[in-house]
Formats: sequence, C-alpha cells, structure tokens
Amino acid sequence: MEKISVVIDGRTFQAEKDTCILEVARRNGIHIPSLCYNSEVTSSGGSCRVCLVEAHQGGRMRLVTACNYPVREGLEVRTDTPLVHRIRRGVLELLLARVPDSEVIREMAAAEGITEARYRKDEGENERYKCIACALCTNVCAEVVGVHAIAMVGRGADKKPATPYDKPSDVCIGCGACAYACPTGAISLKEQDGVRRIWHKDFKMVRCSVCGTPYIPEAQVDWIVRKTGKDRSFFDKCPDHR
Amino acid sequence: MGAINSIEELEAYRRELAAAAKPDLPTVLVCFGTGCQANGSRLVAEAFTEAIKEQGLQVDVNIGIKTTGCHGYCENGPLVVLRPQDILYLKVKPEDVPEIVEESIKGGRVVERLVYRDKVTEELVPRYSEIPFYKHQLRIALRHIGTIDPTNIDDYILAGGYAGLAKALTMKPEDIISEVERSGLRGRGGAGFPTGTKWRSCARVDSDVRYVMCNGDEGDPGAFMDRSIMEGDPHAVIEGMIIGAYAVGSHQGYIYVRDEYPLAVRNLTLAIEAAREKGLLGENILGSGFSFDIKISRGGGAFVCGESSALMRSVEGNVGEPRAKYIRSVERGLYNRPTVLNNVETWANVPEIILKGAEWYASMGTEGSKGTKVFSLVGKVNNTGLVEVPMGISIRELVENIGGGILGGKKFKAVQTGGPSGGCIPERLADLPIDFDSLTKAGSMMGSGGIIVMDEDTCMVDVAKYFTGFLVEESCGKCTPCRDGLPRMLDLLTEITEGRGTEEHLAMLEELCDLLTWGALCGLGTSAANPVLSTIKYFREEYEAHIKDKKCPAGVCKALITYYIDPEACTGCRLCAKNCPQNCITGKRKEAHVIDTSKCIKCGVCKDVCTFDAVRIS
Amino acid sequence: MTEMTQDLNRFDRIIDRYERSEESLLAILQDFQREFHYVPEEGIRRLSEVMGVPASKLYAMGTFYKALSLTPRGRHTIKVCTGTACHLKGATQILETLERELKVKRNGTTEDGEFTLECVNCVGACAMAPVTIVDEVYHGQTRPSKIMDMVKKQVGG
Repeated sequence: MEKISVVIDGRTFQAEKDTCILEVARRNGIHIPSLCYNSEVTSSGGSCRVCLVEAHQGGRMRLVTACNYPVREGLEVRTDTPLVHRIRRGVLELLLARVPDSEVIREMAAAEGITEARYRKDEGENERYKCIACALCTNVCAEVVGVHAIAMVGRGADKKPATPYDKPSDVCIGCGACAYACPTGAISLKEQDGVRRIWHKDFKMVRCSVCGTPYIPEAQVDWIVRKTGKDRSFFDKCPDHR
Repeated sequence: MGAINSIEELEAYRRELAAAAKPDLPTVLVCFGTGCQANGSRLVAEAFTEAIKEQGLQVDVNIGIKTTGCHGYCENGPLVVLRPQDILYLKVKPEDVPEIVEESIKGGRVVERLVYRDKVTEELVPRYSEIPFYKHQLRIALRHIGTIDPTNIDDYILAGGYAGLAKALTMKPEDIISEVERSGLRGRGGAGFPTGTKWRSCARVDSDVRYVMCNGDEGDPGAFMDRSIMEGDPHAVIEGMIIGAYAVGSHQGYIYVRDEYPLAVRNLTLAIEAAREKGLLGENILGSGFSFDIKISRGGGAFVCGESSALMRSVEGNVGEPRAKYIRSVERGLYNRPTVLNNVETWANVPEIILKGAEWYASMGTEGSKGTKVFSLVGKVNNTGLVEVPMGISIRELVENIGGGILGGKKFKAVQTGGPSGGCIPERLADLPIDFDSLTKAGSMMGSGGIIVMDEDTCMVDVAKYFTGFLVEESCGKCTPCRDGLPRMLDLLTEITEGRGTEEHLAMLEELCDLLTWGALCGLGTSAANPVLSTIKYFREEYEAHIKDKKCPAGVCKALITYYIDPEACTGCRLCAKNCPQNCITGKRKEAHVIDTSKCIKCGVCKDVCTFDAVRIS
Repeated sequence: MTEMTQDLNRFDRIIDRYERSEESLLAILQDFQREFHYVPEEGIRRLSEVMGVPASKLYAMGTFYKALSLTPRGRHTIKVCTGTACHLKGATQILETLERELKVKRNGTTEDGEFTLECVNCVGACAMAPVTIVDEVYHGQTRPSKIMDMVKKQVGG
C-alpha cells in the first residue's frame, strides 16, 4: 500500500504504487479514451492502443498504454500532446477501416477529427462486423465467469473470439457477460420466446414466477448452484421481484 | 562411468580421457549438420566405416558436426575433415571414399579434385585452417563445432568442457555476476542488453523461485547461428546455463527450441540426458550442493515466440502472445517469477568468460561491443556460411575478405541485417563497423547476426514488401497497429510493386511506420518499420522509379518487367519453348525464338533452362 | 475393445508420454500432428478431459501455431522455404511452379489428397538456397524447371 506521487498533465496526484495511469486519471477527472480495458478484469488491456499516452520517466519518454502502465515515483504523464493525438488518430483510422459499421469507433474517430479511413475495404470486413479483437470477451469468460467457453482464435488480422470449431460450446452457460463487456457490441445475443441464442447455442431461460419475464438461462442457474451451493429456488424470481 | 561427484573427480576423468585419446590417430570427421545430412553425409560416413573395416585400418570414424558444415558450407557438403592432416574435402560422395582412404589416409596425399579452390584466385587450399574463410575467424562461441561429436559428452569433456562450471562452483555467485558484467557481454539475440546487468537485476529480486531460460527460437530468416550451436555443441549452452543459474539462484532452466530445428532438439535432449548421468545436471552438481535441471520446450511455428514474453507464455502452455513489458521479465517472467532469458550464443560464451576471465573477453571487440559475434553470411556472396569474428569488423571486410565478394562478379548493392526487425545498409556505408551501436545509428540493427548480401539484381522495394509480408503472417494479432497496420503497409507496397503506386502511398507508408514504432505492443511491431524505412531512406530512387516511371530497375517486380529473348544469343535449341508452361515461345529450330508477352506469366522457367543466357529481363 | 476406447487409446498413448503439466500441451499437440497428420477434434477433446484444460484453449493453440493443422494434411508435405536467402534466390518461382503444376494454392492440399503445399520460415540451411523440403527430406538449390521431377522422384511415381 505504498503511496507515491505522479504528475499528469502538469498536476500532481497521490496514488497507490503500481495502480495503472488510467485509474489514476479517471479518479481525478482526466479523460483518456479506452476500449479493451475493464477495471474488473485484470487480464484485460493493452490491446486496442487507443489509450496511449506519453510517459516521461528516468530521462526518457515513450508512449505507454494508460490502462496497464504502473505508476511509480518519478513518473510524469502527458495525455494531450500532438504526438499522443497523432498516434491515436492513426490507431482509430485503422480501427475505422477495420470495422466501419461500429458506431463506437466512428464516434471516437470523429472526436479526433477522422470521418473516413484512407484505406481500401478488405475482404475480412464483412465477417468481422464490429469486432476489434481486443479479447475483453474471452478475458471476461476466463477470468470472471471462469468457464472458458470462448478463446481468441487464429493469428493476425483474422484473430477473433470463437468457440472450439465454431460449434455450440459444452461449457457456455449463456450468461452473456462477453456481450455486455464488448466495447463495440460485436457479440450477437438474441432473445425470443424465452430462449436466448448466443455463440450458436440456444439457452432456455427461467421465467420469473411473479412477472413472467425470462431473465436468466437455466444453464447459468445450474452453474451458479453447482459453484456456490445456493438454493435453486432463489432464482424463481427475477431481481426486481425478489 | 557413472556420476562425477566432485570437481577433483571431473579433472581426474578429464585426465583419464586425455590419456586414452590418441591425438595422432588418423580421424575422419564427417559433417552431420542439417545441410550435410541433406546432401547425403550419412551415406558417406557409412562408406568410410565400411572401407576402413575392410582394410583393417586403425581409424576412428568419428561422426561430428563440422565447422564448415553447419557454417553454411552446406552447398559444398558433404564435408569431410581428416585429422591430423587437417585436410578438408568438399562435396564428398560415397564413391569418393575408397580413393580418400587409399590416397589420404593410407598414402598421406591430397585428392585435389575434392579440395577447396578459392573462387577468386583459383588456388587450391587443402588445409582447413588456411582456407581464407576460416583464417580470419576467431571462434569462441563456435569453439568446438566441427571437432567434437555433439552426442558424446566425453568429447566435450576431453576438449575442456565443464571446466568453466567447475571454476564457477568455487566462486561466489556475486563474483560470477561481476565477472560477466566486466566482460561486457551483451545479449547475442539482437537486443544487445548487457548480460551481467540482466543477471544482477534478477538476482536482486526477492523470490524463492526463479528461472533461467535459453531462447533458441532463432526466427530471423537467413540466420542459423543458433541452430549450429544447438546442433553442434549443445553442452556449451548447458554449461553456460548451469553457471548462470548458480549465479542468480535458479534451480530450473528451460531451453526453447523452434519447431523447425529437429536435429537441435535431438542433440540437446541427448546432451541433457548425458549431463544428468554424469551428475552435471540434477541434484548436488559436482558435490557443490547446488541443484539445477533443464527442460526442453519446443516451439510450434511462430516467429513471435522469439519475443521474450511470448516465449514464456508459450512455455507455460498457451498461445505465444506477448504482454506489455512495463514490468521486466527479470522481475516477473515465467509464471510471474524472476527470469533470466538469454540467447543460445550468449550462453555459449559464458563458460569461456568464466574460465578465461572478463579481461580476456573485453580485450576483443569494440568499446561498446565486447567479444566476438557469429554472423551468418548468406545471399549473393561467394562464400556463404557462419563466421565468428571480433566485433567491429566492417561490413566490407566481411563481405569481401571473408565472403569473397559478390557472386558472379555482380555489383554489391546492400546488406540486410537484423532480420525483419532490421534494415538495409547500402554499399556506400559498407565501411561501417558491425557492432550493436553503429548499425542502429544507420537505421538498421545488428540483430542476431544474419547478414544478407544483396546485389544489383535485388529490388529494394521487393525486399521491403517481403519483410512486411513475413510480419503480416507472423503478427500475433493482439494490438491494433501491428495487426491492422501491417496488412495496410503490405497493400501499399504491393500497389507500388505492381505499378499503381503514388506519392501519397509513400507518405501513408511512412505514417504507418511511425504509428507502429510508437504504438505497437511488442518488438515485432515496434521494429517492423525498419525494413521499410531503411529502404526508403537509402533507396528512395528505386521507390520513385516504381512510382513515377512504373519501372523496376533491378528487374524483379513482375508487373513492371518483360521477359524477352536476345536474338543474338539465342541458338534456337527450343529448350525454353519445350518447358514453357504457357506455350508462348515460338520459333523454328536453329532460329531465334520469341516470347509472346501477352501470354507470358513471367514464371522464369525459360530463363532457368536456357544455357546461353539468351533470356533477358527488361 | 470398442471403437470408442480404441480411439481414446491412440490419444492416451501419446498423452501418457509426457508429464501431466500444461507445459506438455504443445508437445502433445505436435505429436498428434505427427501421428495423424493433423490434430483431430477428438484428440483435443480427450486432451482437454485428461489434463483438465479448456478445449477452447487447445483449439486456440491449434489455430495459432503453424506447425499444427486442424484439417487433415496430404499424404506428402512439400515445404518451400521462404526465408530471405531463399527468397532472393527464387523461392517465389519455386512456389509458383508447384502451385501451377499441382493445381493447389499454398497451405492447400491437392484434390487427390496426395500433397500439401506449405511455406515454411527459414530452416537455417541458407547456403543451399532455395530449399524445398519434401516429407522431411531437404533439397537444396532447387530450380523451377527441376522441382516437379525431384518431387516425383522422391515420392515415387
């Protein structure tokens, strides 16, 4: 619990040693955009490169991802320099070219003055939809949920989250945490008539005994009961009516 | 002989081996490196065994990895060395063996047709150590290769092996680290980080478990130094690691070998087993109380696994994805424990440094780059192979004196160093010394030691495209700049090489290079710009020719060249027409032939088969 | 013995060669590759069960490492080295000739299941450039005009 001083954009803040720059910035009202990081998921971050900022330390300067760079005594951060913006624009332009259908990316790019990518359309675009291969979904599934239903598959620009062989997964519990965590809403989660469909698999939902709303997959209830020993009847009612 | 239980016993064993050895006994050394085996050296060795048995001669057919063999003289293999005469024979076939046995082994004479002939002076040079290629070398990392059988630990011990370890075990770990620091040894894998400093940083972290690792994932195309060492002298690596482990306080080591090197895996495995049997690995090494063992981990075909954090993830049983290195591996590496990861060649130097001392090592090389370096000299050069020389030799010396100049008398254009992380240095800067710092200043980097020699027939834009294409395939896909930026760079370079390039493309290319350098997650991405930027810097005219004139001056880029037949040189032999897959070469027998360029796919087969050099490229 | 247990045995035999540790995963997958000419789905599922590691992780490894193939490879594998030295000495032309003559694209398998054509990263035999490896046999200084004959000669017919 060692406390240190870190300077961000000319202002000095106290923070616990090894907290990441992004957390310190957020707590102090300094905005740094980010996509692939979630503070609940320690394995997340470092992938999209949107949060790159200048780190001045030990006489050198380099760009570092704010979401996982540990603050230590003597660190000076600059989040708003021409270099930071130039590189951020470059990253966003690549992402825009990759997933032109993503509103989130469009908005972020527009905030940096980019409305169109100069690169031509590539074949992988349609399959990719809105996915920026940031791995937040797979990190959540592995670290938070713990079922490892999906993993990042392949290499390079075709890297994407998938179940083994793109088949319905034996271990997926249909919780949808991946879809909620996804920064661009790229994961398809559809519900109809009390059935949720995600990752090519159908999950029968439990209906609330009070309001009748389907609110949680049975498979997820099974899993929670297995893990925690909680009584199954707890899930008869949805959170609004418990 | 079972385990050796003390340093004294090791020395006694060594003396025993020396007493039993017969240095004047004629020995035939047949190279069993990957290259020579590909050319049939196994059959040659068998032929020798047969012939010698038949003749009842007192010769020990010692199958060892030869210096020239693994040093890229593979094109001249199978290689055979006769001791004690020190004669080297090239391209030996099983049919040649009876003559060699009769003339050289029995008769003490030289079989001239099999001897090395200098490509430039045309002189015959039968003696191995006098061949210009070897004369200029100073072999430290390669000290045993070609003279010992790598699968026989006794050979290694007889040659002085494990004496470095014996000495180290009498020193304090702190003193070993100081010795390595003072020697000036810097990592040979490419980054050139001071080895002693790395060890010290690791040793100082408070942890009950730490690891030492060897990076044998030599991925730079054109580099095969580490392959040669792992195949030809695996004990040198093992001994170095035991010393390093003792110095930093580690009890478990790993050697990560790329999948494409099966012989290296085999020889390392045999060596580890042999070392264990002799008590040089395992519990209580040489009675010192220090325990250490090594596991081998095989790569799976991924260049990015040469990056330290990706390598560690791969060893742990995962995909090889790098992580941000804001906290260094010496603090948190394999399994989040302090880890020292060093390159094969770095480890191979350690026993000698301990044995002969820091001052000895630091007396060689340059101010900032001490010691020697193994280079793989390949490409359009006469003598291709592995060369170990003191740091500081100039590019020109390497290419011209040792390499024997450019193949076919063509013009020396550039060298590419540092693999996909490095860049091109043009001929006019060839007097630059090769060391860690000079090449970096010039926009390249020494890298792991691969030196690709290029001539006037090499298109530098094509080279940039080649490396970019390589990296597109090898990108792990985790971070945006590398994953999405490299394919865009490849696109732009393709437009340029296919005659659709514009000035704007060049500007965008430079922008992307900038983005990767600042923004990528790991070394693969941050250095990906080097091949492109260095070729733009030194060969901008070539880029301009492709863009403005739609021409490829070197005659490489298919869209911008035409194949044609020189009517003066063509004899009408019809060989090209017969081999043309498009059937687009016409002409009457004994008359000059013509290529129909509208059908020509520029496959190059006609040029390949023509013995009159009548097929030209414009 | 049922066919099911026979199948499991062929995987277990390989798994049992190694320490029960995640460090062995890649080596086991490579042994599967060597034995079956690809990594079968049943192999991944069995390995997942025995080692207690997620199938998704093994599948990811199967798609990440070039040495592994999740679809069956041909009876013979032709690997064209595309290292820098080989590239400079005409590896592209070797590759194109093979693609044309075998009627297959790189990384593909011929329709009759005979050949899989791949590119491989530098194998460290640069002095013999350009290098082509046919079923683990190295051939140096290959030429476009001779490569098909050489392949046919080695595999016989």
